[in-house]
Amino acid sequence: MPPPAPAPPSPAPTVKPYSLSLDTWAVIVALVLALAVRFDVLKNVPW
Amino acid sequence: MASSTSLPQVQSDNRLLSALNIVPGILLLAGIGYAAKILERSVNAYAKAHHWTFPNIEYVLWAILIGLVISNTLAVPKIFHSGIATYEFWLKLGIVLLGARFVLADVLKLGGISLALVVVEITLSLALMTFLGKLFKLKPKLISLLAIGSAVCGVSAIIAAKGAIDADDEDSSFAIAAILALGALALFTFPAIAHALHMNDVSYGLWAGLGVDNTAEATAAGALYSDAAGKVAVLAKTARNAMIGFVVLAYAIYWSSRGQAETVSNKAAFLWKKFPKFILGFLFISLLVSFHSFSKGQVGSLGNLSKWAFLLTFAGVGLRTNFREMSQQGLRPFIVGALGEILIACLTLGLVVGANRIWGL
Repeated sequence: MPPPAPAPPSPAPTVKPYSLSLDTWAVIVALVLALAVRFDVLKNVPW
Repeated sequence: MASSTSLPQVQSDNRLLSALNIVPGILLLAGIGYAAKILERSVNAYAKAHHWTFPNIEYVLWAILIGLVISNTLAVPKIFHSGIATYEFWLKLGIVLLGARFVLADVLKLGGISLALVVVEITLSLALMTFLGKLFKLKPKLISLLAIGSAVCGVSAIIAAKGAIDADDEDSSFAIAAILALGALALFTFPAIAHALHMNDVSYGLWAGLGVDNTAEATAAGALYSDAAGKVAVLAKTARNAMIGFVVLAYAIYWSSRGQAETVSNKAAFLWKKFPKFILGFLFISLLVSFHSFSKGQVGSLGNLSKWAFLLTFAGVGLRTNFREMSQQGLRPFIVGALGEILIACLTLGLVVGANRIWGL
């Protein structure tokens, strides 16, 4: 009787990158822009 | 060993590549948006110089029209696709920044009226869509998706519900196509009806926010009428979006009780996961403005940044609307959606007219 086949090597652990949702990104970017406007980094944005 | 050390390098390369992938599409959105602004100015100036009686076509409509023409006559090259898909991000960024143009007292007053109307609108829409879906013998989960999409917030609600009620891809693409096609029609019909009825900005904005399903289309339909109507439409639509978690949770519980969806173990976590977080950003910016954290000029700058973000959104609305693709999704869900939307538009118009009489909007 042949010896049992060795178990396949377990796959390398994958690191799941932590990702923010679209909503969270929108809030972060809006807050950064608000700070830039508040501290005059962005002045008189035209339309 | 080598593979584990190179993993972060591969991931960062992938992230860099996907970040670069969106650049052409964003440039296309910006190009269309800027062309729309130039067209608005030059066409109006030309008509005035030649004493033509020409309707004042705003940049919103130009941006949507240019996008529609491109997506329905030319095949948009694949290189632009991922960048065009960022229009959702610009929409949410625009809404958060729009908080600068609302003092919190306005948000509470208009938001309170909107919330009261939203509860009535959601109840009526869910009942109506369910009735029509059963009448036309649609599949039960497709009925649920159409009901959620038309009652709450269009595509986002359908996507949120798809996983929660374990609906299949075909049903959700039917529902999304119906909601998008009807949203595109609403862009042109809502302002025309409102002009015919001589509606004021607040009433119309409330109607657009309650009656148009997808947030991008509701924002555009509001802005097509006037700047003030656009602001109110966003507020009303945001109040509607806030209900997404409750509606999806109710449907998830219903389908899991029938053994056709997973049980929701932690309801509070479920509600938080589905809650649109950009609403919190909108309220926070509004709170800062209410406490005079910004000068008048700075509030103007934030309002203009919001307009730029919306400009990219409107270009995206036109670009992602492909009538040929929508027509391939089948007629019955579209008929149910169209009938439901027409009735919901009439109901919400009645609600807004009633609210106008009670609260004097």
